[in-house]
Amino acid sequence: MAVYRRTYKAYKGSLTPAWSRFTVLSRYGLQTLFSSRPFTAYTVLCFIPFLLGLGYIYLVHSAAIQTLLDIRLGNAMPGTVNNVWFFSFLGWEVIMGFIAAAWVGPGMITKDFANHSVQLYLSRPLSRAEYLLGKVSVLAALLSCTTWIPALVLFFIKAELYGHGWLWENLWMVGSIILSCLLWIAVVALISMAVAVWVRWRIAATALMLGVFFLLPALGAVISLILRTQWGHVINFPMMITIVWTHLFRLTAVNRHNAGVDIVPLWAAWASLLSVCTFCVWLLDRKLRAREVERA
Amino acid sequence: MPPIIEMQNLTVRLGNRIILDRLNGALSGRCIGLLGPNGSGKSTLINTLLGFYQPVAGAARIFGKEVRGNLRELRAQIGYMPESDAFIADMSGVRFVRYMAELSGLPKSEAMERAHEAFFYVGLGEARYRKVGTYSLGMKQLAKLAQAIAHGPRLVLLDEPTNGLDPEARQRMLQLVREIRDTGEVCVLISSHLLRDVEECCDQVLILKEGRIAAICNLEEERKANLKFLELEVTEGNGFLESVRGLGCECASFGAGRVRVILPDNIDLRQIYRVAAEHDVQIRRMNYRRDTLEDIFLKAMSGPQAAAAPQGSANGSL
Repeated sequence: MAVYRRTYKAYKGSLTPAWSRFTVLSRYGLQTLFSSRPFTAYTVLCFIPFLLGLGYIYLVHSAAIQTLLDIRLGNAMPGTVNNVWFFSFLGWEVIMGFIAAAWVGPGMITKDFANHSVQLYLSRPLSRAEYLLGKVSVLAALLSCTTWIPALVLFFIKAELYGHGWLWENLWMVGSIILSCLLWIAVVALISMAVAVWVRWRIAATALMLGVFFLLPALGAVISLILRTQWGHVINFPMMITIVWTHLFRLTAVNRHNAGVDIVPLWAAWASLLSVCTFCVWLLDRKLRAREVERA
Repeated sequence: MPPIIEMQNLTVRLGNRIILDRLNGALSGRCIGLLGPNGSGKSTLINTLLGFYQPVAGAARIFGKEVRGNLRELRAQIGYMPESDAFIADMSGVRFVRYMAELSGLPKSEAMERAHEAFFYVGLGEARYRKVGTYSLGMKQLAKLAQAIAHGPRLVLLDEPTNGLDPEARQRMLQLVREIRDTGEVCVLISSHLLRDVEECCDQVLILKEGRIAAICNLEEERKANLKFLELEVTEGNGFLESVRGLGCECASFGAGRVRVILPDNIDLRQIYRVAAEHDVQIRRMNYRRDTLEDIFLKAMSGPQAAAAPQGSANGSL
């Protein structure tokens, strides 16, 4: 099938491993996202908390810089970069990440429905699970780059600057940072994909996603108020994530009380998050199956 | 060598409706036509072959392998051109085809190379860097064909490939299908409700009616058989018809020199010329019967369905 000959020829070369096909979706998805200048600019903005955190850590550990800037932070300041500090830092990062996810998440699948291209994907040696994995991995890669990866970079910089065994004393925080962010990424990505598959219209899907994260908490508060219980808050997914995070980051009871997240037990928060993830997977499986091929 | 497509009691139900009802048959043509009126189950059969719909009973096999259980392997060998507009509108044509080829398993560089080749092959070489969403309908159809063949499949499923095309674009599409067929490296299944399209490309036809097989026939054989039907226009000549009958042919005269002749197997066309020369008769026009497929289709539509018929009797169902 050479260009100059213009004749058809079968392909007899090697093929890529079957397991790696979903990465093609991820690669093209990321390329498409970053072909948009506004989105690229926003992604750069997402690194502002990281740069501020980096500056702060350097500042509290560098007497030279403090002298240069003519400020005195005292010897206790390096100790402020602790589990509470990383918890707060990630809090800012996930806000930035959530905006990015709401911006691009639903569009990745609704575009395929609008273009009727789902049948093209699924007529290839690619299962529905791999298709979804490819789409979710775009969000996962994007959100990882703006959450746990910068947090880990800051963690190791802090460890390097502080020394004195700080790394070994706080090594548990590596697991907390990764696990807490992966949990958040899973919830956001699954909800984003599920609403996209469900409503198939980008604007409506984005609105619904925002509704899940902002209106459901309000509804939960109303339910709790009317029924005089705290259980209405289990549909407040941002709060459920925060409850899990406070335990993962070993925040004290005082910290938790100040954050206002000690309203339902930890097991209820985990159950709530796992339930919503399971529901999203079920919805994805059901809706994507029904529309593998659009019927007239 | 196993048939390209084999159906064994294949039954597909969507919702409460049975769309394909106990299909039995084997298709071995280099280019297979899938004919039938709207709603007869053509697209459903293609979707079932692609594994999109699961049969509630029976099985479908491609290249001897059952679709259920071998989906990944079979899909790698299949190129699919859907009926509806299916593309990624904001991608350039060549990137779209490369993307699809990579999803079929081609490495990056090979996918890029074959995407360019496929675009030149279908005649869209100059438009390959334009976004697919800006293509005309004919160009979109060709782009869909390009993505179906870029990864070098063994079987190409074309669902209504000439839909919405002007006569020139239609001819181009059919010419491409014939070229792909004639390479001998790939089999083609065309679903269409246009008899002419199927007749121009296919050597075997499966006709569906209300989800059941109305006929499976080998067009090549039918064409050969129809070579024995002649329509002649001759000048008046005494005894010509009697002499032709004397050869063992059946003849009928329709006036004004128009004659229809059925040649037995042992009679050669040259003998007709010889008889005409002996009687000093000029043959001014000679036609073989050409409306083969239309006849077959009309008979299939009016006749009983052959859903449960064994494979061998498919031609006999006419």
